[in-house]
Amino acid sequence: MIAVLRPLAVRALTLFGVLIAVLVLLVLSLGATGFSDDLLNAQVSEQLRGEREGLARTIRDPAQLEAAVAERQRQLEAFYGLDDPWYIRLPPQVFRVLRLDLGEARSLRTAEGSTRIADIVQERLPYTVLLLTTSTIITALVGLAVGARMATRVGSRIDRAMAYFAAVSFAVPSWWLGILLILVLAFQLDWLPSGGMYSTPPPTGRWDRAVDLAHHAILPILTLVPISIGPYIYTVRTMTVTVAQEDHVQLARAKGLPEGLVNRRHILRVAAPPIVTGLILGLAGSLSGSILVETVFNWQGMGRLYYDAVSGTPDEGVIVALTFVFTLMYVVARFVLDILYVLLDPRVRYG
Amino acid sequence: MTADPTTSVPSATAAGGATEVTARPEAAEATRSVALASGDAPVGADTDTDRGEQGQPGAVGWRGALRLLLAGGVGKAGVAMFAVMLAISAYVVLTYPGDFGTARWSNPGVWADNPKAVRPAWTAWLGGGEPVRHLERNLTAPSEVATNPNSEVRTYRFPLAVDGDDFPSLLSVTLDGLTYGGRPPVVAVSLIRPDAPAGSPPVRLANLVAPGPRTGEVAPFRRFDPPERLLLSAQESAAQGIAQAYAALYPGLPVAGSLTDSDRLARALFGRPGADGSGRIELLRGEYQLQVQLVVANPADALGEVRAVLGGTVFGVMGTDGLGRDLWEGLLYGFPIGLLIAALAAVLSTAIGASLGVVSGYAGGTTDAIIQRVCDVISNVPVLPLLIFLVFVLGSNLWLIILVLVAFSWPGLTILVRSMVLQVRGGQLVEAARALGASRRRVMVRHVFPQVAPFVIAQMIFSAPGAILAEASLSFLGLGDTSIPTWGQMLRAGFQTGALYLGYWWWVIPPGVLIIVTALAFMLLALAMEPVVDPRLRKTT
Repeated sequence: MIAVLRPLAVRALTLFGVLIAVLVLLVLSLGATGFSDDLLNAQVSEQLRGEREGLARTIRDPAQLEAAVAERQRQLEAFYGLDDPWYIRLPPQVFRVLRLDLGEARSLRTAEGSTRIADIVQERLPYTVLLLTTSTIITALVGLAVGARMATRVGSRIDRAMAYFAAVSFAVPSWWLGILLILVLAFQLDWLPSGGMYSTPPPTGRWDRAVDLAHHAILPILTLVPISIGPYIYTVRTMTVTVAQEDHVQLARAKGLPEGLVNRRHILRVAAPPIVTGLILGLAGSLSGSILVETVFNWQGMGRLYYDAVSGTPDEGVIVALTFVFTLMYVVARFVLDILYVLLDPRVRYG
Repeated sequence: MTADPTTSVPSATAAGGATEVTARPEAAEATRSVALASGDAPVGADTDTDRGEQGQPGAVGWRGALRLLLAGGVGKAGVAMFAVMLAISAYVVLTYPGDFGTARWSNPGVWADNPKAVRPAWTAWLGGGEPVRHLERNLTAPSEVATNPNSEVRTYRFPLAVDGDDFPSLLSVTLDGLTYGGRPPVVAVSLIRPDAPAGSPPVRLANLVAPGPRTGEVAPFRRFDPPERLLLSAQESAAQGIAQAYAALYPGLPVAGSLTDSDRLARALFGRPGADGSGRIELLRGEYQLQVQLVVANPADALGEVRAVLGGTVFGVMGTDGLGRDLWEGLLYGFPIGLLIAALAAVLSTAIGASLGVVSGYAGGTTDAIIQRVCDVISNVPVLPLLIFLVFVLGSNLWLIILVLVAFSWPGLTILVRSMVLQVRGGQLVEAARALGASRRRVMVRHVFPQVAPFVIAQMIFSAPGAILAEASLSFLGLGDTSIPTWGQMLRAGFQTGALYLGYWWWVIPPGVLIIVTALAFMLLALAMEPVVDPRLRKTT
């Protein structure tokens, strides 16, 4: 048991280090570039401009008015922490996200109108998870089936075509494939909705809503699957071929075991760890890719949220919080991968 | 695993099906020459290969390496694609202005006379009727000069044949460089329509008096510099002119709506009210003539050039975007920029990754531990969100974007190179060099690095498309460097202005195809280099 926990504990520490490193990077880039100061100063002067008129109505004397405004400016600067240099002000603000205290958004809202970033994330997260897990499951099932089949006909024309498909799908930007699919399937043929998550007006029944959501999810999933499946089929095929040439497989065949059993127990089981690695690495990758795909399809998940926070009037609180949440999700996915690896590969346990 | 830039690039060897790469100095020499031949700056060009190793059997010179590279179809395709891209890049670098992005691409004035968002010209044979060709005519000398007692009338005539199945998209006249002495000259623009009975006056489109002398200004007065452009298909006076012509020629036939609307005016100028009285405007084919009359008081007054533009419904090789920009120009410009991004990012991240890998593997101890921990952290970071964050904070500058890309992309190579160096450092070659008293630095640079160099160079080429894809993704999210147009930015512009919804495929498909083709060229080259890098993969003939 200890043998299992030790590598996992080391891994957990490293991944925690990743979180800390990302946060330090956030503090440094916000602070050392003066970005945070500029932003807060702009906020102070904007607020002052608004309050000046109110003050001017009550205070007639110009000198007194100036004094009052200056006093208010000092108050505001103190309120925003501009009295302190960035390396004092920013770390507590940034590191509180470690406790999942994500702060307030300036203009983004949840459907109920909450400005808490944690609420917004909670509202958006399920949609991203829905998209990613569905496409990963499809990739896994199809990839395993096709990849294992490819392994039995190495060097055939189909096998070579598959290798090129893997290379091409590596070179295709996911978002561009999405654009292409929208152009053809949504606008040219009018088969599927071009974006969004629900029809307008949204259907009322619970079941109808789910069906509507699934209908809108088809195109994004059709975009995510081909991109990740090419390399995945290739991984499965190569790993299976490599294992199939090993002596123990020869022995199993020599013993007269049925081919299906040899495939399942002696080839796929041995090839499982790297195959799973490939899958989860792909999942972690699509996590970032979802920013692009969700943007293209106007899918109101985490990725679209990040895009909304960056474009238009940028909201740095949301950006910091989301960068952290993305890192956290990525790190968690990596850790799940490690646990799976330990479970699947006996050499880690007894090594 | 996916095409997004965040996932690690699978190693060239994994994709090629080889299991392990043994680095050999002779292959290093070979690969370096190949890299030079294909126009790529090799990272290890300054290091010496061990001369003593070159005489070994199996060594290939650079000719041999090139032959190996071109032996397979993959290599031929990769090298051919690369050659084409380099040729286009050279053409662009030689013919485009240095400030293409700011002075031309992002300057709406340059593209004002182009039709907006129209198909490429070659799509005519796909059907949908005969399109209107884009027509541009320049005249420097008047077609006709009439002298009156105290003035001179110079007439510039532009014959415009309208014979397509569609209305022209715009009509404009540009006057360039007028010099006059006394009274300001007057310019009158009119259109002679094919349906006008002989002797009737042409349709008046616009009148323009050159701005008079300012106080204190002395003759000769220079006007229309920068050129004065009149968009006739949006002029109030043109709408009045054509309304009068309609009233005179087609009494009783109504025209629905106002003609002042720019789109409708262009149709009205080259059409007639529907004979069925529905109010629709029908196309009137035939020979039109645009007439620009310059009335000068002083015969010495001179007008530099008159340009007339009849906007087509198709344009050029690749059509135009929503601002009328010639997409062909932008697409070509993407080649040198794409190659530059790929080369810079690949060379820098390979240089950092490989040197840290050699140091980490050879030095061992604390140095090794620190480098490995840093690698661990960076390679576990979700790259795209951080890229977006950093570019958002630091600003969208292409060089900065490349640097940020490099900062996140080196650790993969460091980990790989380190494991190879661990094998190499125990070898006899390194042992002999150390026995002879070579310093650590010398051993690393001259004896360890050359042994891993071929692998490093193959990896460098393989990592190049990642940078192109990453830049395209950032541009697509609106974080690109707007002073340097790239394919990603063209796609962004198309996506943002609803090109998708309007079905402007010529705007969104070609940039994406070029991104893929460029990435593929690098990948094919890297695949084809494997036999050069790894002697065991060569076909024994």
